[in-house]
Amino acid sequence: MPPPPGRSAGGPRAGPESGEPLAGPAPLVGVELVRAARRGDAAAMDALVRELMPYVGRVCGAIALDRGDDAMQETFVAVLRNLHGLREPAAVHGWVRRIAVREAIRVARAARTEVLDPGALDRGAAPAVDLDAVVDVRSALAGLSPEHRAVLVLREVDGLSEAEVAGLLGVAEGTVKSRLHRARAAFARRWAR
Amino acid sequence: MNAPGARWPVAALGPIARARALAAAVPGAASAEGVLDAPYDVAWPWVADLEHSVPRFDAQVRALRVLERRPHGDAEELRIRATSFGVSLPFTVRLENGFCLMQARRRLYLVVMAAEPVEEGARTRFFHMEAVPLPGTRPLRRHLRRAVAADLRNLTRLASSGF
Repeated sequence: MPPPPGRSAGGPRAGPESGEPLAGPAPLVGVELVRAARRGDAAAMDALVRELMPYVGRVCGAIALDRGDDAMQETFVAVLRNLHGLREPAAVHGWVRRIAVREAIRVARAARTEVLDPGALDRGAAPAVDLDAVVDVRSALAGLSPEHRAVLVLREVDGLSEAEVAGLLGVAEGTVKSRLHRARAAFARRWAR
Repeated sequence: MNAPGARWPVAALGPIARARALAAAVPGAASAEGVLDAPYDVAWPWVADLEHSVPRFDAQVRALRVLERRPHGDAEELRIRATSFGVSLPFTVRLENGFCLMQARRRLYLVVMAAEPVEEGARTRFFHMEAVPLPGTRPLRRHLRRAVAADLRNLTRLASSGF
Protein backbone atom coordinates (compact mmCIF):
# COMPACT_ATOMS: atom_id res chain seq x y z
CA MET A 1 0.00 0.00 0.00
CA PRO A 2 1.60 3.28 -1.01
CA PRO A 3 1.37 6.30 1.24
CA PRO A 4 -1.56 8.64 0.86
CA PRO A 5 -1.00 11.87 -1.04
CA GLY A 6 0.55 14.64 0.97
CA ARG A 7 2.37 12.22 3.26
CA SER A 8 6.06 11.95 2.66
CA ALA A 9 8.28 9.16 3.82
CA GLY A 10 9.76 9.92 7.19
CA GLY A 11 6.92 12.25 8.09
CA PRO A 12 5.31 12.45 11.49
CA ARG A 13 4.28 9.09 12.78
CA ALA A 14 1.66 8.64 15.43
CA GLY A 15 2.09 5.96 18.03
CA PRO A 16 0.26 2.69 17.56
CA GLU A 17 -2.17 3.44 20.36
CA SER A 18 -3.42 6.69 18.84
CA GLY A 19 -5.77 5.24 16.21
CA GLU A 20 -9.50 5.82 16.20
CA PRO A 21 -11.31 3.81 18.88
CA LEU A 22 -13.87 1.29 17.74
CA ALA A 23 -16.30 2.52 20.34
CA GLY A 24 -18.11 5.57 19.07
CA PRO A 25 -21.47 6.73 17.80
CA ALA A 26 -24.22 4.18 17.25
CA PRO A 27 -24.03 2.40 13.90
CA LEU A 28 -25.34 4.48 11.04
CA VAL A 29 -28.72 3.44 9.77
CA GLY A 30 -31.12 4.66 7.13
CA VAL A 31 -30.72 8.23 6.01
CA GLU A 32 -27.45 8.80 7.83
CA LEU A 33 -26.01 5.69 6.26
CA VAL A 34 -27.04 6.88 2.81
CA ARG A 35 -25.52 10.30 3.45
CA ALA A 36 -22.24 8.78 4.60
CA ALA A 37 -22.15 6.53 1.54
CA ARG A 38 -22.81 9.54 -0.71
CA ARG A 39 -19.82 11.27 0.84
CA GLY A 40 -17.67 8.39 -0.39
CA ASP A 41 -17.27 6.52 2.88
CA ALA A 42 -16.54 3.02 1.54
CA ALA A 43 -17.47 1.35 4.85
CA ALA A 44 -20.85 3.09 4.66
CA MET A 45 -21.23 2.08 1.01
CA ASP A 46 -20.60 -1.52 2.00
CA ALA A 47 -22.98 -1.28 4.97
CA LEU A 48 -25.64 0.08 2.64
CA VAL A 49 -25.10 -2.89 0.31
CA ARG A 50 -25.48 -5.28 3.23
CA GLU A 51 -28.65 -3.56 4.37
CA LEU A 52 -30.20 -3.67 0.90
CA MET A 53 -28.95 -7.14 -0.01
CA PRO A 54 -31.97 -9.21 1.15
CA TYR A 55 -34.46 -7.02 -0.69
CA VAL A 56 -32.45 -6.72 -3.89
CA GLY A 57 -31.85 -10.48 -3.78
CA ARG A 58 -35.57 -11.13 -3.79
CA VAL A 59 -36.28 -8.76 -6.68
CA CYS A 60 -33.36 -9.92 -8.82
CA GLY A 61 -33.90 -13.59 -8.02
CA ALA A 62 -37.56 -13.55 -8.99
CA ILE A 63 -37.09 -11.54 -12.18
CA ALA A 64 -33.71 -12.67 -13.49
CA LEU A 65 -33.92 -16.24 -12.12
CA ASP A 66 -30.68 -18.06 -12.96
CA ARG A 67 -29.00 -14.74 -13.77
CA GLY A 68 -30.20 -13.24 -10.52
CA ASP A 69 -26.71 -13.08 -9.01
CA ASP A 70 -25.43 -11.16 -12.04
CA ALA A 71 -28.40 -8.81 -11.88
CA MET A 72 -27.71 -8.24 -8.21
CA GLN A 73 -24.10 -7.25 -8.86
CA GLU A 74 -25.18 -4.92 -11.68
CA THR A 75 -27.80 -3.40 -9.40
CA PHE A 76 -25.26 -2.56 -6.73
CA VAL A 77 -22.79 -1.18 -9.26
CA ALA A 78 -25.53 1.15 -10.50
CA VAL A 79 -26.68 2.02 -6.98
CA LEU A 80 -23.22 2.89 -5.69
CA ARG A 81 -22.18 4.76 -8.82
CA ASN A 82 -25.30 6.88 -8.85
CA LEU A 83 -25.77 7.58 -5.16
CA HIS A 84 -24.83 11.20 -5.74
CA GLY A 85 -27.90 11.52 -7.95
CA LEU A 86 -30.27 10.41 -5.22
CA ARG A 87 -31.88 13.70 -4.24
CA GLU A 88 -33.73 12.47 -1.20
CA PRO A 89 -31.85 9.91 0.93
CA ALA A 90 -35.08 8.90 2.65
CA ALA A 91 -36.34 7.63 -0.70
CA VAL A 92 -33.47 5.20 -1.08
CA HIS A 93 -35.57 2.04 -0.97
CA GLY A 94 -37.90 3.12 -3.79
CA TRP A 95 -34.92 4.32 -5.80
CA VAL A 96 -33.09 1.02 -5.33
CA ARG A 97 -36.23 -0.92 -6.20
CA ARG A 98 -36.43 0.90 -9.53
CA ILE A 99 -32.78 0.15 -10.31
CA ALA A 100 -33.07 -3.50 -9.25
CA VAL A 101 -36.12 -4.08 -11.43
CA ARG A 102 -34.48 -2.35 -14.40
CA GLU A 103 -31.23 -4.27 -14.06
CA ALA A 104 -32.97 -7.60 -13.46
CA ILE A 105 -35.09 -7.18 -16.58
CA ARG A 106 -32.06 -6.10 -18.62
CA VAL A 107 -29.92 -9.03 -17.46
CA ALA A 108 -32.76 -11.52 -17.89
CA ARG A 109 -33.53 -10.28 -21.39
CA ALA A 110 -29.89 -10.57 -22.37
CA ALA A 111 -29.76 -14.12 -21.12
CA ARG A 112 -33.17 -15.10 -22.25
CA THR A 113 -33.45 -18.50 -23.83
CA GLU A 114 -36.81 -20.16 -23.80
CA VAL A 115 -39.65 -17.95 -22.72
CA LEU A 116 -43.28 -18.48 -23.45
CA ASP A 117 -45.13 -15.79 -25.34
CA PRO A 118 -47.60 -14.40 -22.81
CA GLY A 119 -49.89 -13.41 -25.65
CA ALA A 120 -50.32 -17.04 -26.51
CA LEU A 121 -51.37 -17.93 -23.03
CA ASP A 122 -54.90 -18.32 -21.79
CA ARG A 123 -56.68 -15.03 -22.12
CA GLY A 124 -59.66 -16.24 -20.16
CA ALA A 125 -60.72 -15.19 -16.71
CA ALA A 126 -58.10 -14.97 -13.98
CA PRO A 127 -57.62 -18.38 -12.40
CA ALA A 128 -59.61 -19.10 -9.30
CA VAL A 129 -56.74 -20.91 -7.64
CA ASP A 130 -55.11 -20.25 -4.33
CA LEU A 131 -51.73 -19.05 -5.49
CA ASP A 132 -50.67 -18.73 -1.85
CA ALA A 133 -50.35 -22.49 -1.90
CA VAL A 134 -47.48 -22.31 -4.35
CA VAL A 135 -44.30 -23.61 -2.79
CA ASP A 136 -41.78 -23.78 -5.58
CA VAL A 137 -42.38 -20.91 -7.94
CA ARG A 138 -39.18 -20.94 -9.94
CA SER A 139 -40.39 -23.24 -12.67
CA ALA A 140 -43.60 -21.27 -13.00
CA LEU A 141 -41.73 -17.98 -13.20
CA ALA A 142 -39.39 -19.41 -15.83
CA GLY A 143 -42.30 -19.57 -18.26
CA LEU A 144 -42.87 -15.82 -18.09
CA SER A 145 -41.02 -13.00 -19.76
CA PRO A 146 -38.84 -10.80 -17.51
CA GLU A 147 -41.34 -7.96 -17.88
CA HIS A 148 -44.21 -10.16 -16.69
CA ARG A 149 -42.13 -11.48 -13.81
CA ALA A 150 -41.41 -7.89 -12.80
CA VAL A 151 -45.09 -7.03 -12.64
CA LEU A 152 -45.84 -10.17 -10.68
CA VAL A 153 -43.04 -9.62 -8.19
CA LEU A 154 -43.79 -5.96 -7.61
CA ARG A 155 -47.48 -6.67 -7.11
CA GLU A 156 -47.38 -9.96 -5.22
CA VAL A 157 -44.13 -9.77 -3.27
CA ASP A 158 -43.65 -6.05 -2.86
CA GLY A 159 -47.35 -5.32 -2.49
CA LEU A 160 -47.29 -2.28 -4.76
CA SER A 161 -50.54 -1.05 -6.28
CA GLU A 162 -51.07 -1.37 -10.02
CA ALA A 163 -50.62 2.38 -10.33
CA GLU A 164 -47.31 2.22 -8.45
CA VAL A 165 -46.11 -0.65 -10.61
CA ALA A 166 -47.07 1.29 -13.72
CA GLY A 167 -45.17 4.33 -12.51
CA LEU A 168 -42.10 2.30 -11.65
CA LEU A 169 -41.99 0.45 -14.97
CA GLY A 170 -42.97 3.48 -17.04
CA VAL A 171 -45.98 1.80 -18.63
CA ALA A 172 -49.72 2.46 -18.58
CA GLU A 173 -51.78 1.09 -15.72
CA GLY A 174 -53.81 -0.90 -18.25
CA THR A 175 -50.59 -2.58 -19.40
CA VAL A 176 -49.87 -3.57 -15.82
CA LYS A 177 -53.36 -5.00 -15.39
CA SER A 178 -53.01 -6.94 -18.62
CA ARG A 179 -49.52 -8.25 -17.78
CA LEU A 180 -50.62 -9.17 -14.30
CA HIS A 181 -53.62 -11.05 -15.56
CA ARG A 182 -51.56 -12.97 -18.09
CA ALA A 183 -48.79 -13.63 -15.62
CA ARG A 184 -51.19 -15.00 -13.03
CA ALA A 185 -52.92 -17.13 -15.62
CA ALA A 186 -49.65 -18.47 -16.98
CA PHE A 187 -48.42 -19.03 -13.46
CA ALA A 188 -51.52 -21.04 -12.58
CA ARG A 189 -51.44 -23.04 -15.83
CA ARG A 190 -47.85 -24.05 -15.36
CA TRP A 191 -48.41 -24.86 -11.74
CA ALA A 192 -51.38 -27.05 -12.60
CA ARG A 193 -49.31 -29.23 -14.97
CA MET B 1 -48.29 -16.18 -3.49
CA ASN B 2 -47.00 -14.71 -0.30
CA ALA B 3 -47.53 -17.82 1.78
CA PRO B 4 -44.76 -18.38 4.30
CA GLY B 5 -43.91 -21.64 2.58
CA ALA B 6 -43.58 -20.09 -0.85
CA ARG B 7 -40.04 -20.17 -2.12
CA TRP B 8 -39.46 -17.32 -4.48
CA PRO B 9 -36.05 -17.52 -6.07
CA VAL B 10 -33.59 -15.33 -4.20
CA ALA B 11 -30.36 -14.07 -5.73
CA ALA B 12 -27.13 -13.77 -3.78
CA LEU B 13 -24.28 -11.32 -3.77
CA GLY B 14 -21.08 -13.20 -3.03
CA PRO B 15 -18.02 -11.56 -1.49
CA ILE B 16 -16.33 -11.05 -4.86
CA ALA B 17 -19.40 -9.54 -6.51
CA ARG B 18 -19.75 -7.25 -3.51
CA ALA B 19 -16.12 -6.19 -3.82
CA ARG B 20 -16.48 -5.66 -7.59
CA ALA B 21 -19.47 -3.39 -7.00
CA LEU B 22 -17.44 -1.29 -4.57
CA ALA B 23 -14.50 -1.18 -6.97
CA ALA B 24 -16.75 0.03 -9.76
CA ALA B 25 -18.01 2.90 -7.62
CA VAL B 26 -14.94 4.09 -5.75
CA PRO B 27 -13.08 6.80 -7.67
CA GLY B 28 -9.57 5.85 -8.70
CA ALA B 29 -9.86 2.23 -7.57
CA ALA B 30 -7.46 -0.31 -9.04
CA SER B 31 -8.25 -4.00 -8.81
CA ALA B 32 -6.93 -7.40 -9.78
CA GLU B 33 -8.57 -10.79 -9.72
CA GLY B 34 -7.24 -14.30 -10.13
CA VAL B 35 -7.40 -17.89 -8.96
CA LEU B 36 -5.04 -19.11 -6.25
CA ASP B 37 -3.81 -22.66 -6.39
CA ALA B 38 -4.77 -23.35 -2.79
CA PRO B 39 -7.96 -24.61 -1.14
CA TYR B 40 -10.25 -21.87 0.11
CA ASP B 41 -10.17 -23.32 3.63
CA VAL B 42 -6.42 -22.75 3.65
CA ALA B 43 -6.13 -19.56 1.61
CA TRP B 44 -8.70 -17.38 3.33
CA PRO B 45 -7.64 -18.05 6.94
CA TRP B 46 -4.07 -17.29 5.85
CA VAL B 47 -5.10 -13.99 4.23
CA ALA B 48 -7.38 -13.08 7.15
CA ASP B 49 -4.41 -13.24 9.51
CA LEU B 50 -3.61 -9.71 8.39
CA GLU B 51 -0.62 -9.14 10.65
CA HIS B 52 1.25 -11.97 9.00
CA SER B 53 -0.22 -12.11 5.52
CA VAL B 54 -0.28 -8.51 4.31
CA PRO B 55 3.42 -7.72 4.83
CA ARG B 56 4.25 -10.96 3.00
CA PHE B 57 2.27 -10.38 -0.17
CA ASP B 58 2.17 -6.57 -0.24
CA ALA B 59 5.74 -5.43 -0.77
CA GLN B 60 4.80 -1.88 0.13
CA VAL B 61 3.61 -2.72 3.63
CA ARG B 62 6.50 -3.12 6.00
CA ALA B 63 4.38 -3.98 9.03
CA LEU B 64 0.79 -4.34 10.06
CA ARG B 65 -0.27 -4.44 13.66
CA VAL B 66 -3.72 -5.31 15.02
CA LEU B 67 -4.50 -2.99 17.92
CA GLU B 68 -8.00 -4.14 18.73
CA ARG B 69 -10.50 -6.66 17.48
CA ARG B 70 -14.07 -7.32 18.44
CA PRO B 71 -16.94 -9.40 17.06
CA HIS B 72 -19.59 -7.51 15.13
CA GLY B 73 -22.44 -9.86 14.16
CA ASP B 74 -21.07 -12.34 11.65
CA ALA B 75 -17.98 -10.20 11.20
CA GLU B 76 -15.10 -8.82 13.19
CA GLU B 77 -14.15 -5.18 13.50
CA LEU B 78 -10.47 -4.49 13.80
CA ARG B 79 -8.41 -1.44 14.45
CA ILE B 80 -5.01 -1.76 12.86
CA ARG B 81 -1.92 0.23 11.92
CA ALA B 82 -0.12 -0.38 8.66
CA THR B 83 3.33 1.01 8.01
CA SER B 84 4.19 1.79 4.44
CA PHE B 85 7.07 3.94 3.14
CA GLY B 86 7.79 5.00 6.71
CA VAL B 87 4.26 6.26 7.26
CA SER B 88 2.10 4.56 9.84
CA LEU B 89 -1.58 4.84 9.06
CA PRO B 90 -4.53 3.72 11.20
CA PHE B 91 -7.26 1.67 9.54
CA THR B 92 -10.65 0.41 10.60
CA VAL B 93 -11.27 -3.07 9.24
CA ARG B 94 -14.38 -5.16 8.68
CA LEU B 95 -13.41 -8.79 8.38
CA GLU B 96 -15.81 -11.53 7.35
CA ASN B 97 -15.44 -15.00 5.95
CA GLY B 98 -14.29 -14.20 2.40
CA PHE B 99 -14.42 -10.42 2.68
CA CYS B 100 -12.19 -7.74 4.16
CA LEU B 101 -12.58 -3.97 3.92
CA MET B 102 -9.82 -1.77 5.32
CA GLN B 103 -10.42 1.96 5.38
CA ALA B 104 -7.82 4.40 6.62
CA ARG B 105 -8.66 7.27 8.87
CA ARG B 106 -10.16 10.19 6.96
CA ARG B 107 -10.61 7.79 4.05
CA LEU B 108 -7.07 8.38 2.90
CA TYR B 109 -6.73 4.83 1.68
CA LEU B 110 -9.00 1.90 0.97
CA VAL B 111 -8.23 -1.79 0.58
CA VAL B 112 -10.78 -4.48 -0.21
CA MET B 113 -10.01 -8.19 -0.45
CA ALA B 114 -12.52 -10.90 -1.25
CA ALA B 115 -12.30 -14.62 -1.87
CA GLU B 116 -14.58 -17.48 -2.85
CA PRO B 117 -14.01 -21.20 -3.26
CA VAL B 118 -13.87 -22.53 -6.83
CA GLU B 119 -13.59 -26.08 -8.13
CA GLU B 120 -15.46 -27.37 -5.07
CA GLY B 121 -13.14 -25.54 -2.73
CA ALA B 122 -9.95 -26.97 -4.22
CA ARG B 123 -8.86 -23.52 -5.41
CA THR B 124 -9.68 -19.95 -4.45
CA ARG B 125 -10.82 -17.00 -6.53
CA PHE B 126 -9.29 -13.87 -5.07
CA PHE B 127 -10.12 -10.21 -5.66
CA HIS B 128 -7.94 -7.36 -4.50
CA MET B 129 -8.66 -3.64 -4.73
CA GLU B 130 -6.88 -0.55 -3.51
CA ALA B 131 -7.83 3.08 -3.85
CA VAL B 132 -6.92 6.56 -2.74
CA PRO B 133 -10.48 7.86 -2.95
CA LEU B 134 -9.65 11.54 -2.78
CA PRO B 135 -10.01 14.28 -5.38
CA GLY B 136 -7.00 14.82 -7.57
CA THR B 137 -5.49 11.39 -7.07
CA ARG B 138 -6.23 10.00 -10.54
CA PRO B 139 -2.52 10.12 -11.49
CA LEU B 140 -1.90 7.58 -8.73
CA ARG B 141 -4.10 5.04 -10.43
CA ARG B 142 -1.39 3.67 -12.72
CA HIS B 143 0.81 3.10 -9.70
CA LEU B 144 -2.06 1.43 -7.85
CA ARG B 145 -2.75 -0.88 -10.79
CA ARG B 146 0.85 -2.02 -10.76
CA ALA B 147 0.75 -2.43 -6.98
CA VAL B 148 -2.39 -4.59 -6.86
CA ALA B 149 -1.16 -6.68 -9.80
CA ALA B 150 2.12 -7.27 -7.95
CA ASP B 151 0.22 -8.17 -4.76
CA LEU B 152 -1.82 -10.74 -6.64
CA ARG B 153 1.30 -12.22 -8.26
CA ASN B 154 2.94 -12.53 -4.84
CA LEU B 155 -0.16 -14.09 -3.37
CA THR B 156 -0.42 -16.53 -6.27
CA ARG B 157 3.20 -17.56 -5.78
CA LEU B 158 2.74 -17.96 -2.02
CA ALA B 159 -0.40 -20.04 -2.52
CA SER B 160 1.34 -22.30 -5.01
CA SER B 161 4.09 -22.97 -2.50
CA GLY B 162 1.66 -23.74 0.30
CA PHE B 163 2.08 -20.33 1.99
